Amino acid sequence: MTDEMNVKQSGETGLEAFQGTIEEFLLSADVGVVYGEPIQHEDTIIIPTAEVLSALGFGLGSGSGTSGEQEADKPSQGSGFGGGGGGKVLSRPVAVVVASPEGVRVEPVIDITKIALAALTAFGFMAGMMARMSSHKRAFPEIEE
Amino acid sequence: MPLIETEVKTGETRQVGSLELTPTTNVLKIQLPGNHGGLVWNRPRAVIVRGQDGVEHTLPVTDVTRMILWAMLGGGLIGALVIGIAYGIRRDKSTRSDNNDG
Repeated sequence: MTDEMNVKQSGETGLEAFQGTIEEFLLSADVGVVYGEPIQHEDTIIIPTAEVLSALGFGLGSGSGTSGEQEADKPSQGSGFGGGGGGKVLSRPVAVVVASPEGVRVEPVIDITKIALAALTAFGFMAGMMARMSSHKRAFPEIEE
Repeated sequence: MPLIETEVKTGETRQVGSLELTPTTNVLKIQLPGNHGGLVWNRPRAVIVRGQDGVEHTLPVTDVTRMILWAMLGGGLIGALVIGIAYGIRRDKSTRSDNNDG
């Protein structure tokens, strides 16, 4: 009985902890996360913007059991509680809002590395596909009758 | 909270000189059943600029990197399709000419 209560209590504590984590996780949906603090440079104010992707998952479980095999009068009891989780937050700069006496404009931030990597992957895939097509043609020569 | 939710959020207005800037974001929330986790994708949408005369202009925040990546993906798919079709036509032609020769 005490074991079951302990398991229940630890389960509730774990759930509360995860509930707190979930609440903090949901704060990543706030506007302030995407738009950074304004940076002033002379007459110009720069506001950096970024996209934020956060993912979180967890699982909890508990169990208890009795075994009457060892001692019939006093059955052994056992219980346990376990949980685990993981998460990831990704952030990538998207643009910069520049506010100057001339006006406000949005300057994009272009991630050259990401584009180059994607281009290389696409080029590699297409080259591989073409090589496979030409080798496929050579691999099955037509049988002369 | 629904399983999948999208919303447009408006932030606090900031005074920059004589202009008022109001940032807006697009938020996508996906919650796993049983409150066991989820995903939040928050990205900038636009900045609403309000001048002294009260006229509002919306400056969209464009993600150029994503646009380029999507364009490359689309171009790659179209390229693969064109190569596949061209290869098929060439193979048909060579098969026909071989049959005619034989």
